Amino acid sequence: MFKNLIPLCLVAASSALAEDTSMNPEFTAPVRLKAAREIIRVEDPGYASPCWADMDGDGRKDLVVGQFAGGKMKVYRNLGEGKLAEGKWLEAEGKTAEVPGVW
Amino acid sequence: MDILSGSYSRDEGEMAGLFQVLWGVEGGGFRAPAALNGSDGQPLIIQDRDDLPRICTRPTAVDLDGDGKLDIVSGNFGGTFAVFLGEGEGRISPTHRFLMDEDGSPLAVEGHSDPFFVDWDADGDLDLVSGSASGGALLFLNRGSKKEPKFGPSTTLLPAVESSPDDVFGDDWVHGPQEDTRVWVDDVNGDGKLDVLIGDCVTLTWVAAGLEEAEAKKKLDEWSERMRKAQDEFQAAKGNPTDEQQEKYNEECQKLWKEREGIVRQDSTGFVWVIYRK
Repeated sequence: MFKNLIPLCLVAASSALAEDTSMNPEFTAPVRLKAAREIIRVEDPGYASPCWADMDGDGRKDLVVGQFAGGKMKVYRNLGEGKLAEGKWLEAEGKTAEVPGVW
Repeated sequence: MDILSGSYSRDEGEMAGLFQVLWGVEGGGFRAPAALNGSDGQPLIIQDRDDLPRICTRPTAVDLDGDGKLDIVSGNFGGTFAVFLGEGEGRISPTHRFLMDEDGSPLAVEGHSDPFFVDWDADGDLDLVSGSASGGALLFLNRGSKKEPKFGPSTTLLPAVESSPDDVFGDDWVHGPQEDTRVWVDDVNGDGKLDVLIGDCVTLTWVAAGLEEAEAKKKLDEWSERMRKAQDEFQAAKGNPTDEQQEKYNEECQKLWKEREGIVRQDSTGFVWVIYRK
Protein backbone atom coordinates (compact mmCIF):
# COMPACT_ATOMS: atom_id res chain seq x y z
CA MET A 1 0.00 0.00 0.00
CA PHE A 2 0.91 3.57 -0.48
CA LYS A 3 2.81 2.78 -3.63
CA ASN A 4 0.63 4.05 -6.36
CA LEU A 5 -0.57 7.03 -4.40
CA ILE A 6 -1.96 9.43 -6.85
CA PRO A 7 -3.69 12.59 -6.91
CA LEU A 8 -6.41 14.40 -5.61
CA CYS A 9 -6.84 17.58 -4.15
CA LEU A 10 -3.46 16.70 -3.44
CA VAL A 11 -0.96 14.25 -4.45
CA ALA A 12 1.56 15.08 -7.04
CA ALA A 13 2.92 13.21 -9.93
CA SER A 14 6.42 13.61 -11.12
CA SER A 15 5.91 13.71 -14.81
CA ALA A 16 9.17 14.58 -16.41
CA LEU A 17 8.53 15.60 -19.95
CA ALA A 18 10.94 16.89 -22.49
CA GLU A 19 11.23 20.59 -21.76
CA ASP A 20 13.39 23.36 -22.99
CA THR A 21 12.74 27.02 -22.36
CA SER A 22 11.63 26.59 -18.78
CA MET A 23 12.53 29.94 -17.27
CA ASN A 24 10.67 32.14 -19.70
CA PRO A 25 7.75 30.01 -20.67
CA GLU A 26 5.15 31.35 -23.00
CA PHE A 27 1.60 30.44 -22.20
CA THR A 28 -1.71 30.76 -23.95
CA ALA A 29 -4.32 32.93 -22.25
CA PRO A 30 -6.03 31.13 -19.37
CA VAL A 31 -9.23 29.34 -20.29
CA ARG A 32 -11.86 28.09 -17.90
CA LEU A 33 -12.34 24.37 -18.38
CA LYS A 34 -15.76 23.16 -19.44
CA ALA A 35 -17.44 19.81 -19.04
CA ALA A 36 -20.51 18.88 -21.06
CA ARG A 37 -20.36 22.45 -22.46
CA GLU A 38 -20.74 24.03 -19.01
CA ILE A 39 -17.98 25.94 -17.25
CA ILE A 40 -16.72 23.87 -14.34
CA ARG A 41 -17.28 25.57 -11.02
CA VAL A 42 -17.24 24.28 -7.47
CA GLU A 43 -19.78 24.91 -4.75
CA ASP A 44 -19.66 27.91 -2.42
CA PRO A 45 -17.24 29.00 -0.97
CA GLY A 46 -15.04 27.84 -3.80
CA TYR A 47 -11.42 26.70 -3.48
CA ALA A 48 -11.20 24.48 -6.55
CA SER A 49 -8.31 22.03 -6.41
CA PRO A 50 -7.68 20.16 -9.68
CA CYS A 51 -5.73 17.05 -10.42
CA TRP A 52 -5.15 15.22 -13.68
CA ALA A 53 -5.00 11.42 -13.42
CA ASP A 54 -6.39 8.35 -15.12
CA MET A 55 -9.25 7.46 -12.82
CA ASP A 56 -10.94 4.81 -14.94
CA GLY A 57 -7.93 3.02 -16.41
CA ASP A 58 -8.78 3.83 -20.02
CA GLY A 59 -5.35 5.31 -20.67
CA ARG A 60 -6.58 8.90 -20.71
CA LYS A 61 -6.05 11.20 -17.77
CA ASP A 62 -9.24 12.56 -16.26
CA LEU A 63 -9.91 15.71 -14.28
CA VAL A 64 -10.70 15.46 -10.59
CA VAL A 65 -11.63 18.64 -8.75
CA GLY A 66 -11.68 18.90 -4.99
CA GLN A 67 -13.61 21.62 -3.19
CA PHE A 68 -14.00 23.07 0.27
CA ALA A 69 -17.75 22.42 0.67
CA GLY A 70 -18.25 19.00 2.21
CA GLY A 71 -14.70 17.99 1.31
CA LYS A 72 -16.13 16.52 -1.89
CA MET A 73 -14.44 15.75 -5.21
CA LYS A 74 -15.93 15.62 -8.67
CA VAL A 75 -14.59 13.41 -11.44
CA TYR A 76 -14.78 14.59 -15.06
CA ARG A 77 -13.99 11.72 -17.44
CA ASN A 78 -11.76 12.57 -20.35
CA LEU A 79 -13.67 11.79 -23.55
CA GLY A 80 -10.72 12.64 -25.78
CA GLU A 81 -10.37 15.48 -28.28
CA GLY A 82 -10.28 17.98 -25.42
CA LYS A 83 -13.73 17.08 -24.13
CA LEU A 84 -14.73 16.26 -20.58
CA ALA A 85 -17.88 14.45 -19.55
CA GLU A 86 -20.32 15.86 -17.03
CA GLY A 87 -18.86 15.64 -13.56
CA LYS A 88 -19.84 12.98 -11.07
CA TRP A 89 -19.10 13.07 -7.36
CA LEU A 90 -16.34 10.69 -6.39
CA GLU A 91 -17.74 7.82 -4.39
CA ALA A 92 -16.23 5.74 -1.63
CA GLU A 93 -17.93 2.64 -0.27
CA GLY A 94 -21.07 3.44 -2.27
CA LYS A 95 -21.50 7.00 -1.02
CA THR A 96 -20.28 10.40 -2.09
CA ALA A 97 -16.83 10.68 -0.58
CA GLU A 98 -16.51 13.48 1.96
CA VAL A 99 -13.15 14.29 3.46
CA PRO A 100 -13.63 15.25 7.12
CA GLY A 101 -12.39 18.62 8.24
CA VAL A 102 -12.93 19.91 4.74
CA TRP A 103 -10.50 20.91 2.02
CA MET B 1 -4.40 4.19 -6.93
CA ASP B 2 -5.01 5.89 -3.62
CA ILE B 3 -6.14 9.46 -3.03
CA LEU B 4 -4.45 11.71 -0.51
CA SER B 5 -6.13 14.84 0.81
CA GLY B 6 -5.41 17.49 3.37
CA SER B 7 -8.01 19.13 5.56
CA TYR B 8 -8.65 22.38 7.34
CA SER B 9 -8.58 21.12 10.91
CA ARG B 10 -9.62 18.32 13.17
CA ASP B 11 -12.39 19.09 15.67
CA GLU B 12 -10.77 17.91 18.87
CA GLY B 13 -7.58 19.09 20.54
CA GLU B 14 -5.49 21.90 19.17
CA MET B 15 -6.24 22.93 15.61
CA ALA B 16 -4.41 20.78 13.09
CA GLY B 17 -5.19 19.67 9.57
CA LEU B 18 -5.12 15.92 9.31
CA PHE B 19 -4.11 13.99 6.23
CA GLN B 20 -6.81 11.78 4.83
CA VAL B 21 -6.38 8.85 2.48
CA LEU B 22 -9.01 7.17 0.34
CA TRP B 23 -7.34 3.81 -0.18
CA GLY B 24 -7.92 2.30 -3.58
CA VAL B 25 -9.78 -1.00 -3.69
CA GLU B 26 -8.72 -3.95 -5.83
CA GLY B 27 -10.92 -3.96 -8.91
CA GLY B 28 -11.78 -0.27 -8.63
CA GLY B 29 -13.29 2.19 -6.21
CA PHE B 30 -12.10 3.63 -2.93
CA ARG B 31 -12.52 3.13 0.76
CA ALA B 32 -13.99 5.97 2.84
CA PRO B 33 -11.47 8.64 3.90
CA ALA B 34 -9.33 7.69 6.88
CA ALA B 35 -6.78 9.76 8.76
CA LEU B 36 -3.22 8.90 7.83
CA ASN B 37 -1.06 7.89 10.75
CA GLY B 38 2.64 8.38 11.12
CA SER B 39 4.88 5.41 11.88
CA ASP B 40 4.26 6.06 15.59
CA GLY B 41 0.63 5.07 15.10
CA GLN B 42 -0.64 8.59 15.76
CA PRO B 43 -2.43 10.81 13.24
CA LEU B 44 0.13 12.62 11.16
CA ILE B 45 0.07 16.37 11.79
CA ILE B 46 2.43 19.26 11.33
CA GLN B 47 3.74 19.78 14.85
CA ASP B 48 4.26 23.49 15.38
CA ARG B 49 3.75 25.97 18.19
CA ASP B 50 1.61 28.19 15.98
CA ASP B 51 -1.78 27.38 14.51
CA LEU B 52 -1.13 28.63 10.98
CA PRO B 53 1.45 26.03 9.90
CA ARG B 54 -0.72 23.26 11.34
CA ILE B 55 -3.98 23.95 9.51
CA CYS B 56 -5.21 23.91 5.93
CA THR B 57 -2.90 21.08 4.97
CA ARG B 58 -2.40 20.45 1.29
CA PRO B 59 -0.21 17.36 0.89
CA THR B 60 1.43 15.77 -2.07
CA ALA B 61 3.10 12.36 -2.10
CA VAL B 62 6.44 12.40 -3.86
CA ASP B 63 9.85 10.80 -3.60
CA LEU B 64 11.53 14.07 -2.70
CA ASP B 65 14.97 12.68 -1.89
CA GLY B 66 15.19 10.02 -4.58
CA ASP B 67 15.52 7.12 -2.14
CA GLY B 68 12.67 5.17 -3.71
CA LYS B 69 10.28 5.86 -0.84
CA LEU B 70 7.28 8.14 -1.08
CA ASP B 71 7.52 11.18 1.15
CA ILE B 72 4.79 13.68 1.97
CA VAL B 73 5.25 17.38 1.45
CA SER B 74 2.43 19.52 2.71
CA GLY B 75 1.43 23.12 2.28
CA ASN B 76 -0.47 24.90 5.01
CA PHE B 77 -2.29 28.10 5.88
CA GLY B 78 0.93 29.86 6.82
CA GLY B 79 2.54 29.26 3.44
CA THR B 80 5.49 27.00 4.27
CA PHE B 81 6.23 23.45 3.10
CA ALA B 82 6.45 20.64 5.65
CA VAL B 83 8.31 17.45 4.69
CA PHE B 84 7.53 14.08 6.29
CA LEU B 85 10.05 11.52 5.06
CA GLY B 86 8.86 8.13 3.94
CA GLU B 87 10.27 5.13 5.78
CA GLY B 88 9.17 2.63 3.14
CA GLU B 89 6.21 0.26 2.82
CA GLY B 90 3.78 3.10 3.38
CA ARG B 91 5.27 4.23 6.68
CA ILE B 92 5.76 7.96 7.16
CA SER B 93 7.93 9.60 9.79
CA PRO B 94 5.78 11.39 12.38
CA THR B 95 8.17 14.32 12.53
CA HIS B 96 8.67 16.91 9.87
CA ARG B 97 11.10 19.53 8.72
CA PHE B 98 10.31 22.57 6.63
CA LEU B 99 11.82 23.09 3.22
CA MET B 100 14.44 25.81 3.59
CA ASP B 101 15.90 28.29 1.18
CA GLU B 102 19.61 28.77 0.57
CA ASP B 103 19.81 31.29 3.42
CA GLY B 104 18.34 28.88 5.92
CA SER B 105 14.88 30.45 6.07
CA PRO B 106 11.74 28.45 5.39
CA LEU B 107 10.63 28.51 1.79
CA ALA B 108 7.24 30.16 1.72
CA VAL B 109 4.50 31.71 -0.35
CA GLU B 110 1.93 34.25 0.79
CA GLY B 111 -0.33 31.78 2.58
CA HIS B 112 -2.06 28.59 1.46
CA SER B 113 1.06 26.90 0.16
CA ASP B 114 0.28 24.31 -2.46
CA PRO B 115 3.23 22.07 -3.37
CA PHE B 116 3.45 20.28 -6.67
CA PHE B 117 6.70 18.69 -7.84
CA VAL B 118 7.68 18.31 -11.45
CA ASP B 119 10.88 18.43 -13.46
CA TRP B 120 10.03 21.82 -14.92
CA ASP B 121 13.45 22.50 -16.42
CA ALA B 122 14.09 18.93 -17.55
CA ASP B 123 17.40 18.62 -15.70
CA GLY B 124 16.51 15.33 -14.04
CA ASP B 125 15.42 16.56 -10.61
CA LEU B 126 12.16 17.75 -9.16
CA ASP B 127 11.29 21.44 -9.03
CA LEU B 128 8.59 22.93 -6.82
CA VAL B 129 5.55 24.75 -8.17
CA SER B 130 3.05 26.30 -5.77
CA GLY B 131 -0.14 28.28 -5.79
CA SER B 132 -0.84 30.70 -2.95
CA ALA B 133 -3.50 32.72 -1.19
CA SER B 134 -2.70 35.70 -3.37
CA GLY B 135 -3.12 33.69 -6.57
CA GLY B 136 -0.87 32.93 -9.50
CA ALA B 137 1.80 30.25 -9.44
CA LEU B 138 5.39 30.34 -8.24
CA LEU B 139 8.29 28.18 -9.36
CA PHE B 140 11.18 27.18 -7.10
CA LEU B 141 13.86 25.54 -9.23
CA ASN B 142 15.85 22.73 -7.69
CA ARG B 143 19.48 23.85 -7.68
CA GLY B 144 20.61 20.69 -5.94
CA SER B 145 20.12 17.19 -7.22
CA LYS B 146 17.56 14.43 -7.34
CA LYS B 147 18.83 13.01 -4.03
CA GLU B 148 19.69 16.31 -2.36
CA PRO B 149 17.18 18.91 -3.50
CA LYS B 150 17.96 22.56 -2.78
CA PHE B 151 15.34 24.99 -3.90
CA GLY B 152 16.27 28.44 -5.13
CA PRO B 153 14.26 31.62 -4.79
CA SER B 154 10.83 31.74 -6.32
CA THR B 155 10.13 33.08 -9.75
CA THR B 156 6.69 33.96 -10.98
CA LEU B 157 5.35 31.35 -13.30
CA LEU B 158 1.97 33.02 -13.49
CA PRO B 159 1.27 36.39 -11.87
CA ALA B 160 -1.12 36.90 -8.99
CA VAL B 161 -4.23 38.97 -9.60
CA GLU B 162 -5.87 42.03 -8.15
CA SER B 163 -8.56 41.44 -5.55
CA SER B 164 -12.00 40.61 -6.81
CA PRO B 165 -14.09 43.75 -7.35
CA ASP B 166 -17.49 43.84 -5.67
CA ASP B 167 -18.93 46.60 -7.82
CA VAL B 168 -18.55 44.82 -11.15
CA PHE B 169 -21.38 42.48 -11.93
CA GLY B 170 -21.39 39.00 -13.39
CA ASP B 171 -18.31 36.99 -14.32
CA ASP B 172 -17.29 38.58 -17.63
CA TRP B 173 -14.46 40.39 -15.85
CA VAL B 174 -12.84 37.13 -14.81
CA HIS B 175 -10.13 36.48 -17.37
CA GLY B 176 -7.74 34.36 -15.35
CA PRO B 177 -7.24 32.52 -12.08
CA GLN B 178 -8.11 34.56 -9.02
CA GLU B 179 -7.11 33.92 -5.40
CA ASP B 180 -6.20 30.83 -3.36
CA THR B 181 -4.76 28.98 -6.31
CA ARG B 182 -4.17 25.23 -6.45
CA VAL B 183 -1.89 24.03 -9.23
CA TRP B 184 -1.33 20.86 -11.20
CA VAL B 185 1.26 20.52 -13.94
CA ASP B 186 1.02 17.99 -16.75
CA ASP B 187 0.86 17.70 -20.51
CA VAL B 188 -2.89 18.22 -20.70
CA ASN B 189 -3.21 18.53 -24.48
CA GLY B 190 -0.66 15.90 -25.41
CA ASP B 191 1.71 18.17 -27.32
CA GLY B 192 4.76 17.18 -25.24
CA LYS B 193 4.86 20.42 -23.25
CA LEU B 194 3.96 20.91 -19.63
CA ASP B 195 0.71 22.82 -19.13
CA VAL B 196 -0.70 24.23 -15.92
CA LEU B 197 -4.10 23.53 -14.41
CA ILE B 198 -5.12 26.03 -11.75
CA GLY B 199 -8.07 25.99 -9.41
CA ASP B 200 -9.07 29.19 -7.69
CA CYS B 201 -11.52 30.97 -5.44
CA VAL B 202 -13.53 33.99 -6.53
CA THR B 203 -16.46 36.02 -5.26
CA LEU B 204 -18.94 37.08 -7.93
CA THR B 205 -21.51 39.84 -7.59
CA TRP B 206 -24.82 39.64 -9.42
CA VAL B 207 -27.68 42.13 -9.78
CA ALA B 208 -30.58 41.18 -7.53
CA ALA B 209 -33.71 39.88 -9.17
CA GLY B 210 -36.01 42.60 -10.48
CA LEU B 211 -33.30 45.26 -10.89
CA GLU B 212 -31.60 46.53 -14.02
CA GLU B 213 -27.82 46.85 -13.88
CA ALA B 214 -27.79 50.67 -14.04
CA GLU B 215 -30.33 50.89 -11.25
CA ALA B 216 -28.35 48.42 -9.16
CA LYS B 217 -25.15 50.41 -9.65
CA LYS B 218 -26.88 53.62 -8.51
CA LYS B 219 -28.37 51.94 -5.46
CA LEU B 220 -25.04 50.30 -4.63
CA ASP B 221 -23.25 53.68 -4.78
CA GLU B 222 -25.85 55.12 -2.42
CA TRP B 223 -25.50 52.13 -0.14
CA SER B 224 -21.70 52.48 -0.08
CA GLU B 225 -22.02 56.15 0.88
CA ARG B 226 -24.35 55.32 3.75
CA MET B 227 -22.03 52.58 4.97
CA ARG B 228 -19.08 54.94 4.79
CA LYS B 229 -20.99 57.53 6.79
CA ALA B 230 -21.93 54.99 9.46
CA GLN B 231 -18.30 53.89 9.74
CA ASP B 232 -17.06 57.48 9.94
CA GLU B 233 -19.47 58.29 12.74
CA PHE B 234 -18.45 55.19 14.63
CA GLN B 235 -14.77 55.86 14.20
CA ALA B 236 -15.31 59.38 15.49
CA ALA B 237 -15.61 57.73 18.90
CA LYS B 238 -11.80 57.36 18.62
CA GLY B 239 -11.67 53.65 19.33
CA ASN B 240 -13.43 54.00 22.65
CA PRO B 241 -17.14 53.75 21.86
CA THR B 242 -19.76 53.47 24.55
CA ASP B 243 -21.89 50.33 24.69
CA GLU B 244 -24.76 52.35 23.30
CA GLN B 245 -22.67 53.58 20.37
CA GLN B 246 -21.45 50.06 19.66
CA GLU B 247 -24.98 48.66 19.71
CA LYS B 248 -26.28 51.42 17.47
CA TYR B 249 -23.44 50.82 15.01
CA ASN B 250 -24.05 47.06 14.95
CA GLU B 251 -27.75 47.56 14.30
CA GLU B 252 -27.04 50.06 11.53
CA CYS B 253 -24.60 47.65 9.87
CA GLN B 254 -27.04 44.76 10.05
CA LYS B 255 -29.73 46.93 8.50
CA LEU B 256 -27.45 48.10 5.73
CA TRP B 257 -26.25 44.61 4.84
CA LYS B 258 -29.84 43.41 4.74
CA GLU B 259 -30.67 46.23 2.34
CA ARG B 260 -27.70 45.29 0.20
CA GLU B 261 -29.16 41.85 -0.38
CA GLY B 262 -32.00 43.60 -2.23
CA ILE B 263 -29.49 45.27 -4.57
CA VAL B 264 -26.94 42.58 -5.31
CA ARG B 265 -26.23 39.03 -4.34
CA GLN B 266 -22.79 37.53 -4.03
CA ASP B 267 -21.63 34.00 -4.33
CA SER B 268 -18.24 32.45 -4.04
CA THR B 269 -17.03 29.70 -6.28
CA GLY B 270 -13.90 28.29 -7.84
CA PHE B 271 -13.07 27.65 -11.46
CA VAL B 272 -10.52 25.36 -13.06
CA TRP B 273 -8.28 27.09 -15.57
CA VAL B 274 -5.97 25.56 -18.10
CA ILE B 275 -2.96 27.44 -19.37
CA TYR B 276 -1.13 25.74 -22.21
CA ARG B 277 2.55 26.10 -22.90
CA LYS B 278 3.17 27.52 -26.36
